[in-house]
Amino acid sequence: MAFLALQLLFRRLLLALPILLCVSALVFGILRLLPADPVAMSLPPGATAEDYEKLKQAFGLDRSLITQYGIWLGKLLSGDLGGSIFFRRPVSELVWVALPATLELVALSLFLGISVGVGGGLAMFALRGGLGEQALDGATTAMMAIPEFLWAILLILLVGVSLQWLPFIGRLGPGIQLPPTITGFLLIDSLLAGRFATFGSAFTHLLLPSIALAIGLAPLVMRVLRSSLLETAQDDYVTQARLRGISENRILVRHALPNAALPTISLIGVQGGFMFGGTVLVEMIFAYPGLGNLMVDAVRNHDLPVIQAVALIYCVLVLGINAVVDVAYLAVNPRLRLAGAR
Amino acid sequence: MRLSPRARAAWLRCLTDPRVVTGGLLILSIATLGLLAPWIAPHDPQEQDLLATLMPPAWAVGGEARFPFGTDTLGRCIASRLLYGARIALYVSVTAATGAMLLGTLLAILAAYFGGWVDWLISRAVDVWMAFPPVVLALILLVGMGAGVNKVILAIILIDWTRFCRVIRSEALVVMVRDYIAAARLAGFGHRQIMLKEMLPAMIPLVITMMSIEMGIAVIVEAIMSFVGLSVEPDVPAWGVMIADARQTMHQAPWGVILPVGAIFLTVLGFNLLGDGLRRALDARLVLSRAVATP
Repeated sequence: MAFLALQLLFRRLLLALPILLCVSALVFGILRLLPADPVAMSLPPGATAEDYEKLKQAFGLDRSLITQYGIWLGKLLSGDLGGSIFFRRPVSELVWVALPATLELVALSLFLGISVGVGGGLAMFALRGGLGEQALDGATTAMMAIPEFLWAILLILLVGVSLQWLPFIGRLGPGIQLPPTITGFLLIDSLLAGRFATFGSAFTHLLLPSIALAIGLAPLVMRVLRSSLLETAQDDYVTQARLRGISENRILVRHALPNAALPTISLIGVQGGFMFGGTVLVEMIFAYPGLGNLMVDAVRNHDLPVIQAVALIYCVLVLGINAVVDVAYLAVNPRLRLAGAR
Repeated sequence: MRLSPRARAAWLRCLTDPRVVTGGLLILSIATLGLLAPWIAPHDPQEQDLLATLMPPAWAVGGEARFPFGTDTLGRCIASRLLYGARIALYVSVTAATGAMLLGTLLAILAAYFGGWVDWLISRAVDVWMAFPPVVLALILLVGMGAGVNKVILAIILIDWTRFCRVIRSEALVVMVRDYIAAARLAGFGHRQIMLKEMLPAMIPLVITMMSIEMGIAVIVEAIMSFVGLSVEPDVPAWGVMIADARQTMHQAPWGVILPVGAIFLTVLGFNLLGDGLRRALDARLVLSRAVATP
């Protein structure tokens, strides 16, 4: 079973490769529309025309677009993402610091969003037809009408500034030392080094941004789960289980939920991808040093190599999460599971 | 105008749905306030009063009646800026959603009608587009094209056509196998006639519903882009710009942030309620399942 799932995942990722190739060409093409001149911007004042030509050659910007794309793609495949024009460091170095931060944030946000979403969906179903359902329904409508980045600001205002419960700037509190970098994931590294104060600080810094992101996901999960539970509740096997005298809670968890979970899983795949987009602004607002912050800095400074690389990494992450969710969909689906076992 | 009995019933369902009515009234009042801004705004949105900066709203301690919602860091009237901001939000939402709808629906119908390589090409393009988180694609497009409110509209159209295309294509595939399409073909109708006169009307309810939701999305995207400074000129009062400005001083003056957030909330809520209500009122399958599902 595990082997089968891995095989499926591998096949699914292979299918994503041509998409990724098109994505890279698209990113490259769009960014070459840029009216600003990255060479002129990275020269010190008082540079000569000769300096300009030299730098242009150094960046490879004097050759044809297709050659440039070819060179970029070739280097990309060998793991070389180029050099940042603004930060004057290799892009891969910047990315390796930022990527774990974003992954940590998204993982916690997904966890929060899915748990609250599933819990709320079950609650809405259990309270169906009553005032409780209407109240939860109203709450989801309100939650969905405020985008993540505004939730981020509101949370800072309420929990950070007024109540002062949680920190809202960066990844660690002031004066707390970084643990030695092993994985790049601050939560894991601090535990590995046995520094629980660092772990606590990193965790509390993650909370507000991930709550902001989770608010984008939870109401959608609640609504989709509720409506598919309502549909499954009409199915014959549920009636039959009820006639057999199985308790309502057991029917809900053991019989209705596995089938009703399928549309929710698809939804999480799509929204999980969008969540990476949400991190861009949320990270910027919380001054959280992840990919999104890197992207916004790069956009403001027209730092093409960084924009290209980070955009592409976002697409890899989205395609990756889609593939994982697709496989999970197959693994959870009771009908397909039976077919696989035979 | 003469309506068929089914169309009349659909209209009636829409106009009596509480969500459609609430959402519609919300949007209508925001649009009216925005349109009347030059006449009802207490101040010019750019007029600075440096002796009255960061004033609280009129009802709070220290507020003054001449600034009903207080002032920002430069002493500009928040109420007036909110009113003018509504114009930008609604301008972007109407134009961008219409553009995305036209492009997406056109491609969806072409894909479903011709099938084969046309469908393959359009569907693969959707796949590629869907690999981008929308915000990331918007940022790249705006870096490529340069900032500005019309560029933001173009970016939204170039990104969100896929939302329409995916949903409407699958609906169009269902319509394609209906008998009346085959009948139209046998009667010798041209391609364009079948697509526009036979297929499109069947998808109008879906298109209207998605359009309403897309307008809410467009309001959010414009706010995001003006928040990061890629949309309007810095001196134009857009809600996103107001939030970005007021963020610096939100410790002393939270109202500067809360009021534009509230404006975005009400607008998006209006479009969402409208979309949700229309979906329930117009989509026959959903109406049926709801009738069964709620005791």
